[in-house]
Amino acid sequence: MGQFIQFTLNGLMAGAIYALIAVGIVSVYKATRVVNFAHGYLIMFGAYFYYTFAVLFPELPSAPDWLAQWEPAWLLAAREGLPMFSPMGAVLDWLANLPRIVFGLAGSVVACALLGRLIERTLMRPLIGQSTFAMIMITVGLISVLSGAKSLIWTADAAFVPHIAPNTPIRFEVFGNPVFLFGADVANVAIALVMFVSIVAWVRYSKGGVAIRATAEDQQTAYSMGISVPKVFARAWVLAATTGAIAGAILATRNGVSPSLGLFGFSVLAIVLMGGLDSYVGVFLAALAVGFLEAMAQWQLGGEWAEVVPYIAVLIVILIRPHGLFGQKEVERI
Amino acid sequence: MINGNLKATYAADERMVDNRYKQFFVYGMAVLCALMPFAANNYIILVAAQMGIMLIAVVGVNVVIGYTGLLSLGHAAFLAIGAYSIPILHGAMGTLGLPEGIMPFLAIPGAVLISALLGIIVGLPSLRVKGLYLAVATLSANFIVIFLIELKAVSPWTGGVQGINTPDANLLGWELDTQREMFALIAAMAFVTILAVQNLFRTRVGRAFIAIRERDYSAEILGISLLRYKLMSFAISAACCGLAGALFAYFYARILPEQFELALSLQLVAALIVGGMGRIMGPIFGVIIIVTVPEALKFSFGMVAGGSADVAAFRAPLQEIVFGLLIILFLMFEPLGITQIVDRGFRAINRWPFARG
Repeated sequence: MGQFIQFTLNGLMAGAIYALIAVGIVSVYKATRVVNFAHGYLIMFGAYFYYTFAVLFPELPSAPDWLAQWEPAWLLAAREGLPMFSPMGAVLDWLANLPRIVFGLAGSVVACALLGRLIERTLMRPLIGQSTFAMIMITVGLISVLSGAKSLIWTADAAFVPHIAPNTPIRFEVFGNPVFLFGADVANVAIALVMFVSIVAWVRYSKGGVAIRATAEDQQTAYSMGISVPKVFARAWVLAATTGAIAGAILATRNGVSPSLGLFGFSVLAIVLMGGLDSYVGVFLAALAVGFLEAMAQWQLGGEWAEVVPYIAVLIVILIRPHGLFGQKEVERI
Repeated sequence: MINGNLKATYAADERMVDNRYKQFFVYGMAVLCALMPFAANNYIILVAAQMGIMLIAVVGVNVVIGYTGLLSLGHAAFLAIGAYSIPILHGAMGTLGLPEGIMPFLAIPGAVLISALLGIIVGLPSLRVKGLYLAVATLSANFIVIFLIELKAVSPWTGGVQGINTPDANLLGWELDTQREMFALIAAMAFVTILAVQNLFRTRVGRAFIAIRERDYSAEILGISLLRYKLMSFAISAACCGLAGALFAYFYARILPEQFELALSLQLVAALIVGGMGRIMGPIFGVIIIVTVPEALKFSFGMVAGGSADVAAFRAPLQEIVFGLLIILFLMFEPLGITQIVDRGFRAINRWPFARG
């Protein structure tokens, strides 16, 4: 029972991060009717940007010292005499890293937003009105371009990047069973949830969000009502890229920075189809469900089973409900 | 469509190779392939054999994507099944005590059959969904098949992640243990496959596929059973890929699961897009481009770098970028592929001096 609760919590936390990644795919689909197969590689770029701005850049000789390690007198004083691995020590370590974490996140978000804007402008806009096949295959081609570009720019893989939040271990009991979590993981989940909710709220209530929904409903009508459809496209791609940057930074702290981050995009794509392409709620539930199932598979069948769970789940769901759990059925004219 | 190509009899119209350009190309290729094992050097044989294997697979992909209009991103799974069937079937026949000389005659059809059966299973979602959903369903199938091959429980038969050594083909005592001899087999098989698939589209079945591509509901109203023909399309396409996989296993000394991952599926679809979908020449042009461009890059890098490791490190990423750019640029500027460019050229020649393009 204790293990079950532990694995469930781990799974749900992974699921929240899947949801954050999925938001990028859903946003782009809602606005532009393009399913971005290359979203995982956008996330990989987010992770590498975070690595660049949080690790490589502060190490440059010309960078100011406080960026690499921020050590005001009171911090050093507070650290004196603390025992090893104490929660307070972890918080202080995090404070010392805070400048470069903030710098890394900001740099990653800005760089990824620029990248998303570039992709939208050069590849997607010329294809407005083309077939789905062309759109999908262009993003598939983008996979190769992005992964090749990554190997050109960053030749080495990095194992370590600073955690976004203090990584204190948290122990508590649920129904008398001990549960053990890392502070950084909990903070990641909080970030993912806050971003997910705020994006859903933004799309629902703000003027820009309403424009996105109107474009999703009917491009022609949206155009004639004075909505600038190209601007909506650009906004959706920038939104996807920024969430991708944050998700990439989170994944980088969890799994290290490596090209295999791109593969996350495919399992998240499976999750998105499971939930229904245009439903934020469905995708959120599907992400949590897959996270939970992955944790269960890892617990009962071993680690290698976890990686195929999303694919098996999506096949089953597609066979039973072709448009996902909460997706809108596409009406087809003959 | 090449204009200015007058036919006076129905017999001439029904011929498969129905104009001089096609005759020149097909017979020229046949002669070239027949001469190559005697004349070409090892490097050319290697590249040509790779092209031949890929060509058979892309012809299969063309059946599903180009002619039936079902987007599949998982065809590498069929190659994997075809390739892994060979060592497993050889092992099974070895325990039965069959002579080695007749094994390939049973193993290759066996591999093709197993792949076709898997094709029917993977094709099942195509009855419920299409377009993007089908692309993700087939992509998932690819991941799952590779995962099953790598599974520890089956590693006595598949070798797991480390891969497995494959036997040489032995045709009635003629052991095909060099790449040169294997090339002869691959080239013959490639000709047979292209001929069979091209003929398929002159029959009722092939026309049903094309009707499904144009509009599946209309096709159903016309009395074409979607269940039967969609699954048949997947089975035929998987059979071609299974044949390619079997030849792949005979050609190389060892096969690894990672050779059949998503990258290979994407390569097959990319070759089809570059060449031109739904045209018999599409796979041929596409495979030539997709295989020669990386080789050409390798050569030009060899000349620039002159053995310097720093420059050579850029080669693999650049190959990847060029591969992606090929897909993107063709989709943006010539969605019908090289066949369209070639057609345009021939049309201009035929009509000269009256019209261009």
